[in-house]
Amino acid sequence: MEIHMKKLKLLGLTTALVLAGVTVWAETADPFADIVETRHGLMMQMAADVGKMGAMVKGDAPYDAATAARAAANVVAIASVISLDQFPAGSEQGKSADSSAKPELWATPDDFLAKLGDLNTAAEALKTAAATNPDALKSGISALGKACGACHSAYRASQG
Amino acid sequence: MGRIVRILIALAILGAGAGWYLTEPVMRSTADVELLTGDKAHGEAVFWASGCESCHMAPNAKGADQLVLAGGQAFPTAFGTFYAPNISSDPTAGIGGWSIATFSHAIRDGITPEGEHEYPAMPYVAYAKMEPQDLVDLKAFLDSLPASATPNKPHDVGFPFNIRRSLGGWKLLFGGTGYVLTGDLTDQVKRGRYLAEALAHCGECHTPRNAMGGLTKAAWLGGSVIDDGKSKVPNITSGKLDWSDKDIFTYLTTGATPEFDFAGGAMAHVVENMGHLPESDVQAIVAYIKAVPAVK
Repeated sequence: MEIHMKKLKLLGLTTALVLAGVTVWAETADPFADIVETRHGLMMQMAADVGKMGAMVKGDAPYDAATAARAAANVVAIASVISLDQFPAGSEQGKSADSSAKPELWATPDDFLAKLGDLNTAAEALKTAAATNPDALKSGISALGKACGACHSAYRASQG
Repeated sequence: MGRIVRILIALAILGAGAGWYLTEPVMRSTADVELLTGDKAHGEAVFWASGCESCHMAPNAKGADQLVLAGGQAFPTAFGTFYAPNISSDPTAGIGGWSIATFSHAIRDGITPEGEHEYPAMPYVAYAKMEPQDLVDLKAFLDSLPASATPNKPHDVGFPFNIRRSLGGWKLLFGGTGYVLTGDLTDQVKRGRYLAEALAHCGECHTPRNAMGGLTKAAWLGGSVIDDGKSKVPNITSGKLDWSDKDIFTYLTTGATPEFDFAGGAMAHVVENMGHLPESDVQAIVAYIKAVPAVK
Protein backbone atom coordinates (compact mmCIF):
# COMPACT_ATOMS: atom_id res chain seq x y z
CA MET A 1 0.00 0.00 0.00
CA GLU A 2 2.73 2.36 0.97
CA ILE A 3 4.66 1.52 -2.17
CA HIS A 4 1.56 2.25 -4.20
CA MET A 5 1.26 5.70 -2.61
CA LYS A 6 4.90 6.39 -3.42
CA LYS A 7 4.32 5.44 -7.05
CA LEU A 8 1.32 7.76 -7.23
CA LYS A 9 3.31 10.61 -5.75
CA LEU A 10 6.11 9.98 -8.23
CA LEU A 11 3.64 9.93 -11.11
CA GLY A 12 2.11 13.19 -9.91
CA LEU A 13 5.52 14.80 -9.58
CA THR A 14 6.60 13.63 -13.02
CA THR A 15 3.40 14.95 -14.59
CA ALA A 16 3.87 18.29 -12.86
CA LEU A 17 7.47 18.51 -14.07
CA VAL A 18 6.53 17.65 -17.66
CA LEU A 19 3.74 20.23 -17.62
CA ALA A 20 6.07 22.84 -16.14
CA GLY A 21 8.60 21.98 -18.85
CA VAL A 22 6.02 22.42 -21.60
CA THR A 23 4.95 25.75 -20.14
CA VAL A 24 8.53 27.03 -19.96
CA TRP A 25 9.19 25.82 -23.51
CA ALA A 26 6.06 27.52 -24.82
CA GLU A 27 6.99 30.78 -23.13
CA THR A 28 10.56 30.84 -24.39
CA ALA A 29 10.18 29.43 -27.91
CA ASP A 30 12.98 31.33 -29.64
CA PRO A 31 11.49 33.89 -32.05
CA PHE A 32 14.91 34.48 -33.63
CA ALA A 33 15.92 30.83 -34.08
CA ASP A 34 15.23 30.82 -37.84
CA ILE A 35 16.89 34.12 -38.67
CA VAL A 36 19.98 33.24 -36.58
CA GLU A 37 20.19 29.94 -38.47
CA THR A 38 19.84 31.83 -41.74
CA ARG A 39 22.76 34.15 -41.02
CA HIS A 40 24.90 31.29 -39.77
CA GLY A 41 24.13 29.50 -43.04
CA LEU A 42 25.25 32.53 -45.04
CA MET A 43 28.50 32.69 -43.06
CA MET A 44 29.12 28.97 -43.49
CA GLN A 45 28.59 29.10 -47.24
CA MET A 46 30.98 32.04 -47.38
CA ALA A 47 33.56 30.09 -45.33
CA ALA A 48 33.16 27.13 -47.71
CA ASP A 49 33.89 29.34 -50.72
CA VAL A 50 36.77 31.12 -49.01
CA GLY A 51 38.01 27.67 -48.02
CA LYS A 52 38.23 26.61 -51.67
CA MET A 53 40.45 29.60 -52.42
CA GLY A 54 42.27 29.24 -49.10
CA ALA A 55 43.29 25.69 -49.95
CA MET A 56 45.03 27.09 -53.05
CA VAL A 57 46.74 29.81 -51.01
CA LYS A 58 47.87 27.22 -48.51
CA GLY A 59 49.18 24.85 -51.16
CA ASP A 60 46.68 22.12 -50.28
CA ALA A 61 45.14 22.40 -53.74
CA PRO A 62 46.66 23.51 -57.08
CA TYR A 63 45.80 27.04 -58.18
CA ASP A 64 42.92 26.99 -60.62
CA ALA A 65 41.75 30.36 -61.89
CA ALA A 66 38.27 29.21 -62.92
CA THR A 67 37.48 27.50 -59.59
CA ALA A 68 38.85 30.46 -57.65
CA ALA A 69 36.84 32.92 -59.71
CA ARG A 70 33.62 30.95 -59.18
CA ALA A 71 34.21 30.80 -55.41
CA ALA A 72 34.94 34.53 -55.33
CA ALA A 73 31.74 35.24 -57.29
CA ASN A 74 29.81 33.31 -54.64
CA VAL A 75 31.42 35.43 -51.90
CA VAL A 76 30.35 38.58 -53.77
CA ALA A 77 26.80 37.26 -54.02
CA ILE A 78 26.55 36.24 -50.37
CA ALA A 79 28.07 39.50 -49.15
CA SER A 80 25.48 41.43 -51.16
CA VAL A 81 22.64 39.50 -49.47
CA ILE A 82 23.75 40.27 -45.91
CA SER A 83 21.98 43.28 -44.40
CA LEU A 84 20.19 44.28 -41.23
CA ASP A 85 17.35 42.02 -42.47
CA GLN A 86 19.18 39.02 -41.01
CA PHE A 87 19.95 40.99 -37.86
CA PRO A 88 16.57 42.08 -36.46
CA ALA A 89 16.70 44.01 -33.20
CA GLY A 90 16.84 41.63 -30.26
CA SER A 91 18.46 38.70 -32.05
CA GLU A 92 21.48 39.02 -29.82
CA GLN A 93 23.51 36.68 -27.68
CA GLY A 94 21.54 35.70 -24.59
CA LYS A 95 18.20 36.42 -26.22
CA SER A 96 18.49 33.77 -28.88
CA ALA A 97 20.07 30.42 -28.11
CA ASP A 98 22.58 30.24 -30.98
CA SER A 99 23.27 33.94 -31.43
CA SER A 100 26.80 35.26 -30.91
CA ALA A 101 25.87 38.81 -31.94
CA LYS A 102 26.84 41.51 -29.44
CA PRO A 103 24.19 44.09 -28.48
CA GLU A 104 26.62 46.80 -29.71
CA LEU A 105 25.57 45.92 -33.26
CA TRP A 106 22.18 47.58 -32.70
CA ALA A 107 23.72 50.52 -30.84
CA THR A 108 25.83 51.49 -33.87
CA PRO A 109 24.00 50.10 -36.93
CA ASP A 110 25.63 52.66 -39.25
CA ASP A 111 29.07 51.36 -38.34
CA PHE A 112 27.87 47.79 -38.89
CA LEU A 113 26.61 48.76 -42.35
CA ALA A 114 29.88 50.57 -43.12
CA LYS A 115 31.81 47.42 -42.22
CA LEU A 116 29.42 45.45 -44.41
CA GLY A 117 30.22 47.90 -47.20
CA ASP A 118 33.94 47.19 -46.69
CA LEU A 119 33.17 43.48 -47.02
CA ASN A 120 31.42 44.02 -50.35
CA THR A 121 34.33 46.15 -51.61
CA ALA A 122 36.86 43.51 -50.57
CA ALA A 123 34.76 40.75 -52.15
CA GLU A 124 34.57 42.63 -55.48
CA ALA A 125 38.37 43.12 -55.43
CA LEU A 126 38.82 39.44 -54.64
CA LYS A 127 36.78 38.48 -57.71
CA THR A 128 39.35 40.13 -59.96
CA ALA A 129 42.31 38.95 -57.89
CA ALA A 130 41.16 35.32 -57.74
CA ALA A 131 41.29 34.99 -61.52
CA THR A 132 44.65 36.76 -61.82
CA ASN A 133 47.34 34.65 -60.11
CA PRO A 134 48.12 32.92 -56.78
CA ASP A 135 49.84 35.98 -55.26
CA ALA A 136 46.93 38.26 -56.09
CA LEU A 137 44.55 35.64 -54.69
CA LYS A 138 46.52 35.54 -51.46
CA SER A 139 46.41 39.33 -50.93
CA GLY A 140 42.75 39.33 -51.93
CA ILE A 141 41.94 36.71 -49.28
CA SER A 142 43.92 38.66 -46.66
CA ALA A 143 42.03 41.86 -47.49
CA LEU A 144 38.70 40.03 -47.34
CA GLY A 145 39.74 38.48 -44.02
CA LYS A 146 40.47 41.93 -42.64
CA ALA A 147 36.92 43.01 -43.49
CA CYS A 148 35.52 39.82 -41.90
CA GLY A 149 37.67 40.29 -38.81
CA ALA A 150 36.81 43.97 -38.37
CA CYS A 151 33.13 43.13 -38.05
CA HIS A 152 33.71 39.98 -35.99
CA SER A 153 35.88 41.77 -33.44
CA ALA A 154 33.33 44.57 -33.07
CA TYR A 155 30.07 42.64 -33.14
CA ARG A 156 30.68 38.93 -32.61
CA ALA A 157 31.08 37.73 -29.04
CA SER A 158 34.17 35.68 -28.25
CA GLN A 159 33.54 32.04 -29.02
CA GLY A 160 36.68 30.77 -27.30
CA MET B 1 62.24 49.87 25.46
CA GLY B 2 63.51 53.17 24.10
CA ARG B 3 66.50 51.37 22.70
CA ILE B 4 64.33 48.84 20.82
CA VAL B 5 62.30 51.68 19.32
CA ARG B 6 65.51 53.40 18.26
CA ILE B 7 66.75 50.19 16.63
CA LEU B 8 63.43 49.72 14.86
CA ILE B 9 63.50 53.27 13.56
CA ALA B 10 67.05 52.80 12.37
CA LEU B 11 66.08 49.57 10.62
CA ALA B 12 63.07 51.24 9.00
CA ILE B 13 65.28 54.02 7.67
CA LEU B 14 67.77 51.44 6.40
CA GLY B 15 64.96 49.43 4.79
CA ALA B 16 63.48 52.48 3.13
CA GLY B 17 66.94 53.45 1.94
CA ALA B 18 67.55 49.99 0.51
CA GLY B 19 64.11 50.07 -1.13
CA TRP B 20 64.83 53.48 -2.61
CA TYR B 21 68.16 52.24 -3.89
CA LEU B 22 66.70 49.02 -5.33
CA THR B 23 63.85 50.80 -7.12
CA GLU B 24 66.12 53.37 -8.73
CA PRO B 25 65.79 53.32 -12.52
CA VAL B 26 68.74 51.34 -13.85
CA MET B 27 70.03 52.35 -17.24
CA ARG B 28 72.25 50.01 -19.12
CA SER B 29 75.24 51.33 -21.00
CA THR B 30 74.45 52.55 -24.50
CA ALA B 31 78.03 52.05 -25.69
CA ASP B 32 76.81 49.20 -27.93
CA VAL B 33 74.58 51.53 -29.96
CA GLU B 34 76.28 54.94 -29.83
CA LEU B 35 78.67 54.35 -32.72
CA LEU B 36 76.35 52.44 -35.04
CA THR B 37 74.75 53.97 -38.13
CA GLY B 38 71.06 53.37 -38.67
CA ASP B 39 69.73 51.72 -41.82
CA LYS B 40 66.21 52.98 -42.46
CA ALA B 41 65.21 50.16 -44.83
CA HIS B 42 66.20 47.44 -42.39
CA GLY B 43 64.63 49.48 -39.60
CA GLU B 44 61.29 49.12 -41.36
CA ALA B 45 61.57 45.32 -41.07
CA VAL B 46 62.33 45.68 -37.34
CA PHE B 47 59.37 48.05 -37.04
CA TRP B 48 56.86 45.59 -38.54
CA ALA B 49 58.28 42.67 -36.59
CA SER B 50 57.97 44.70 -33.37
CA GLY B 51 54.45 45.89 -34.17
CA CYS B 52 55.05 49.46 -32.96
CA GLU B 53 52.16 50.95 -34.92
CA SER B 54 49.60 48.46 -33.59
CA CYS B 55 49.63 50.33 -30.27
CA HIS B 56 51.06 53.75 -31.19
CA MET B 57 48.89 54.74 -34.16
CA ALA B 58 45.90 56.95 -33.38
CA PRO B 59 42.71 55.10 -32.39
CA ASN B 60 41.04 53.52 -35.47
CA ALA B 61 43.69 54.86 -37.87
CA LYS B 62 43.39 53.38 -41.36
CA GLY B 63 45.71 53.04 -44.34
CA ALA B 64 48.64 55.43 -44.49
CA ASP B 65 47.49 57.07 -41.23
CA GLN B 66 48.67 53.92 -39.45
CA LEU B 67 52.20 55.24 -39.87
CA VAL B 68 51.38 58.50 -38.07
CA LEU B 69 52.35 57.33 -34.59
CA ALA B 70 50.35 59.98 -32.73
CA GLY B 71 49.38 57.68 -29.83
CA GLY B 72 46.16 57.89 -27.86
CA GLN B 73 44.89 54.31 -27.95
CA ALA B 74 43.55 53.18 -24.56
CA PHE B 75 44.69 49.96 -22.87
CA PRO B 76 42.39 49.06 -19.97
CA THR B 77 44.02 46.80 -17.36
CA ALA B 78 43.40 45.75 -13.76
CA PHE B 79 45.80 48.52 -12.71
CA GLY B 80 44.17 51.35 -14.62
CA THR B 81 43.93 52.57 -18.20
CA PHE B 82 47.13 53.30 -20.07
CA TYR B 83 47.29 55.56 -23.13
CA ALA B 84 49.95 54.94 -25.75
CA PRO B 85 52.15 58.03 -26.14
CA ASN B 86 53.04 59.93 -29.30
CA ILE B 87 56.20 58.35 -30.79
CA SER B 88 56.02 60.23 -34.08
CA SER B 89 59.02 62.15 -35.38
CA ASP B 90 57.70 65.45 -33.98
CA PRO B 91 60.64 66.93 -31.98
CA THR B 92 58.45 68.10 -29.07
CA ALA B 93 55.20 66.11 -29.06
CA GLY B 94 56.92 62.94 -30.31
CA ILE B 95 60.39 61.42 -30.06
CA GLY B 96 62.07 63.12 -33.00
CA GLY B 97 64.39 65.00 -30.64
CA TRP B 98 65.63 61.93 -28.79
CA SER B 99 69.25 60.83 -28.91
CA ILE B 100 70.01 57.16 -29.56
CA ALA B 101 70.86 56.83 -25.85
CA THR B 102 67.45 58.20 -24.78
CA PHE B 103 65.79 55.91 -27.33
CA SER B 104 67.74 52.90 -26.03
CA HIS B 105 66.70 53.62 -22.43
CA ALA B 106 63.04 53.94 -23.46
CA ILE B 107 63.00 50.75 -25.53
CA ARG B 108 65.40 48.42 -23.72
CA ASP B 109 65.33 49.70 -20.11
CA GLY B 110 61.77 50.99 -19.86
CA ILE B 111 62.93 54.43 -18.71
CA THR B 112 61.52 57.75 -19.91
CA PRO B 113 63.71 60.72 -20.89
CA GLU B 114 62.75 62.19 -17.49
CA GLY B 115 64.44 59.20 -15.85
CA GLU B 116 61.22 57.59 -14.62
CA HIS B 117 60.14 53.97 -15.00
CA GLU B 118 57.77 53.26 -17.87
CA TYR B 119 54.71 51.17 -17.14
CA PRO B 120 55.09 47.64 -18.52
CA ALA B 121 52.16 48.25 -20.90
CA MET B 122 55.19 49.03 -23.06
CA PRO B 123 56.81 45.63 -23.70
CA TYR B 124 60.34 46.69 -22.75
CA VAL B 125 60.98 43.36 -21.03
CA ALA B 126 60.75 41.84 -24.52
CA TYR B 127 62.55 44.68 -26.32
CA ALA B 128 65.41 44.44 -23.78
CA LYS B 129 66.65 41.60 -26.00
CA MET B 130 66.67 43.73 -29.17
CA GLU B 131 69.97 43.53 -31.07
CA PRO B 132 71.91 46.84 -30.96
CA GLN B 133 71.92 47.21 -34.76
CA ASP B 134 68.17 46.55 -34.92
CA LEU B 135 67.58 49.25 -32.29
CA VAL B 136 69.57 51.83 -34.24
CA ASP B 137 67.90 50.86 -37.53
CA LEU B 138 64.47 51.09 -35.91
CA LYS B 139 65.20 54.64 -34.76
CA ALA B 140 66.32 55.58 -38.26
CA PHE B 141 63.01 54.32 -39.64
CA LEU B 142 60.89 56.01 -36.95
CA ASP B 143 62.71 59.28 -37.65
CA SER B 144 61.57 59.00 -41.28
CA LEU B 145 57.85 58.72 -40.42
CA PRO B 146 55.44 61.70 -40.31
CA ALA B 147 55.30 64.07 -37.33
CA SER B 148 52.17 64.57 -35.25
CA ALA B 149 51.66 67.38 -32.74
CA THR B 150 49.08 65.39 -30.72
CA PRO B 151 49.93 65.79 -27.00
CA ASN B 152 50.26 62.70 -24.82
CA LYS B 153 47.23 61.70 -22.79
CA PRO B 154 48.09 61.04 -19.12
CA HIS B 155 47.54 57.47 -17.89
CA ASP B 156 44.47 56.95 -15.74
CA VAL B 157 46.07 54.96 -12.93
CA GLY B 158 45.11 55.14 -9.25
CA PHE B 159 47.13 54.78 -6.04
CA PRO B 160 49.46 52.94 -5.44
CA PHE B 161 50.18 52.18 -9.09
CA ASN B 162 50.60 55.85 -9.89
CA ILE B 163 53.88 55.83 -7.94
CA ARG B 164 56.24 55.03 -10.78
CA ARG B 165 59.11 54.37 -8.40
CA SER B 166 57.36 51.16 -7.30
CA LEU B 167 57.89 49.82 -10.83
CA GLY B 168 61.55 49.45 -9.89
CA GLY B 169 60.45 46.58 -7.65
CA TRP B 170 58.32 45.18 -10.47
CA LYS B 171 61.31 45.22 -12.77
CA LEU B 172 63.45 43.44 -10.18
CA LEU B 173 60.85 40.69 -9.98
CA PHE B 174 59.77 40.37 -13.61
CA GLY B 175 62.43 42.10 -15.71
CA GLY B 176 65.61 40.58 -17.05
CA THR B 177 67.00 40.04 -20.48
CA GLY B 178 66.97 36.24 -20.73
CA TYR B 179 65.00 34.10 -23.14
CA VAL B 180 62.20 31.83 -21.95
CA LEU B 181 62.85 29.05 -24.46
CA THR B 182 66.36 27.73 -23.89
CA GLY B 183 68.31 24.61 -24.74
CA ASP B 184 69.79 23.19 -27.88
CA LEU B 185 67.89 25.03 -30.62
CA THR B 186 68.22 25.04 -34.42
CA ASP B 187 69.17 28.32 -36.10
CA GLN B 188 65.62 28.60 -37.43
CA VAL B 189 64.09 28.25 -33.95
CA LYS B 190 66.65 30.74 -32.59
CA ARG B 191 65.61 33.26 -35.24
CA GLY B 192 61.95 32.58 -34.42
CA ARG B 193 62.70 33.02 -30.73
CA TYR B 194 64.29 36.40 -31.37
CA LEU B 195 61.32 37.49 -33.48
CA ALA B 196 58.67 36.13 -31.08
CA GLU B 197 60.24 36.83 -27.68
CA ALA B 198 62.22 40.02 -28.35
CA LEU B 199 60.43 41.85 -31.18
CA ALA B 200 56.85 40.63 -31.74
CA HIS B 201 56.35 40.22 -27.95
CA CYS B 202 53.76 37.43 -28.39
CA GLY B 203 54.01 36.57 -24.70
CA GLU B 204 52.63 39.96 -23.61
CA CYS B 205 49.11 38.84 -24.57
CA HIS B 206 49.40 35.04 -24.86
CA THR B 207 51.09 34.36 -21.49
CA PRO B 208 49.02 34.58 -18.30
CA ARG B 209 49.95 37.29 -15.80
CA ASN B 210 50.14 36.94 -12.02
CA ALA B 211 48.40 39.23 -9.50
CA MET B 212 51.20 41.79 -9.88
CA GLY B 213 51.02 41.82 -13.66
CA GLY B 214 54.20 39.80 -14.20
CA LEU B 215 54.26 37.16 -16.92
CA THR B 216 54.01 33.54 -15.67
CA LYS B 217 56.97 32.08 -17.52
CA ALA B 218 56.07 28.52 -16.45
CA ALA B 219 52.91 28.85 -18.58
CA TRP B 220 54.61 30.65 -21.49
CA LEU B 221 52.12 31.28 -24.35
CA GLY B 222 49.55 29.22 -22.43
CA GLY B 223 46.68 31.66 -22.95
CA SER B 224 45.50 34.70 -21.02
CA VAL B 225 42.92 37.46 -20.85
CA ILE B 226 43.42 41.09 -21.90
CA ASP B 227 41.35 44.30 -21.93
CA ASP B 228 40.92 44.10 -18.16
CA GLY B 229 39.57 40.55 -18.40
CA LYS B 230 37.19 41.14 -21.29
CA SER B 231 39.05 39.41 -24.14
CA LYS B 232 40.30 35.84 -24.08
CA VAL B 233 43.65 35.14 -25.71
CA PRO B 234 44.19 31.50 -26.68
CA ASN B 235 46.81 29.03 -25.58
CA ILE B 236 49.07 28.67 -28.64
CA THR B 237 51.29 25.88 -27.33
CA SER B 238 50.93 22.31 -28.55
CA GLY B 239 49.05 21.59 -25.32
CA LYS B 240 46.02 23.18 -26.92
CA LEU B 241 46.71 24.30 -30.48
CA ASP B 242 46.70 21.30 -32.83
CA TRP B 243 47.31 23.28 -36.05
CA SER B 244 49.94 22.08 -38.52
CA ASP B 245 52.92 24.25 -39.47
CA LYS B 246 51.06 25.16 -42.63
CA ASP B 247 47.94 26.11 -40.65
CA ILE B 248 49.92 28.47 -38.40
CA PHE B 249 51.80 29.96 -41.36
CA THR B 250 48.52 30.58 -43.23
CA TYR B 251 46.97 32.14 -40.14
CA LEU B 252 49.93 34.47 -39.52
CA THR B 253 50.07 35.61 -43.14
CA THR B 254 46.36 35.81 -44.04
CA GLY B 255 44.46 35.73 -40.74
CA ALA B 256 42.50 32.64 -41.82
CA THR B 257 42.00 29.81 -39.32
CA PRO B 258 41.93 26.24 -40.69
CA GLU B 259 38.12 26.59 -40.78
CA PHE B 260 38.56 29.82 -42.80
CA ASP B 261 37.13 31.94 -40.09
CA PHE B 262 38.67 35.38 -39.48
CA ALA B 263 38.80 36.40 -35.85
CA GLY B 264 39.87 40.02 -35.99
CA GLY B 265 40.78 41.96 -32.86
CA ALA B 266 44.36 42.66 -31.81
CA MET B 267 45.61 39.66 -33.78
CA ALA B 268 44.41 41.28 -37.03
CA HIS B 269 47.14 43.91 -36.52
CA VAL B 270 49.71 41.19 -35.95
CA VAL B 271 48.68 39.48 -39.19
CA GLU B 272 49.08 42.79 -40.99
CA ASN B 273 52.55 43.23 -39.47
CA MET B 274 53.58 39.68 -40.37
CA GLY B 275 52.62 40.40 -43.97
CA HIS B 276 55.64 42.74 -44.14
CA LEU B 277 58.13 40.09 -43.01
CA PRO B 278 60.05 37.79 -45.32
CA GLU B 279 58.44 34.34 -45.53
CA SER B 280 61.51 32.79 -43.90
CA ASP B 281 60.91 34.91 -40.77
CA VAL B 282 57.27 33.81 -40.50
CA GLN B 283 58.42 30.19 -40.96
CA ALA B 284 60.92 30.77 -38.14
CA ILE B 285 58.13 32.00 -35.84
CA VAL B 286 56.11 28.88 -36.73
CA ALA B 287 59.12 26.70 -35.86
CA TYR B 288 59.52 28.58 -32.57
CA ILE B 289 55.85 28.16 -31.60
CA LYS B 290 56.15 24.43 -32.28
CA ALA B 291 59.23 24.27 -30.05
CA VAL B 292 57.64 25.98 -27.02
CA PRO B 293 56.81 23.45 -24.25
CA ALA B 294 53.15 22.37 -24.16
CA VAL B 295 50.94 24.09 -21.60
CA LYS B 296 47.82 22.10 -20.74
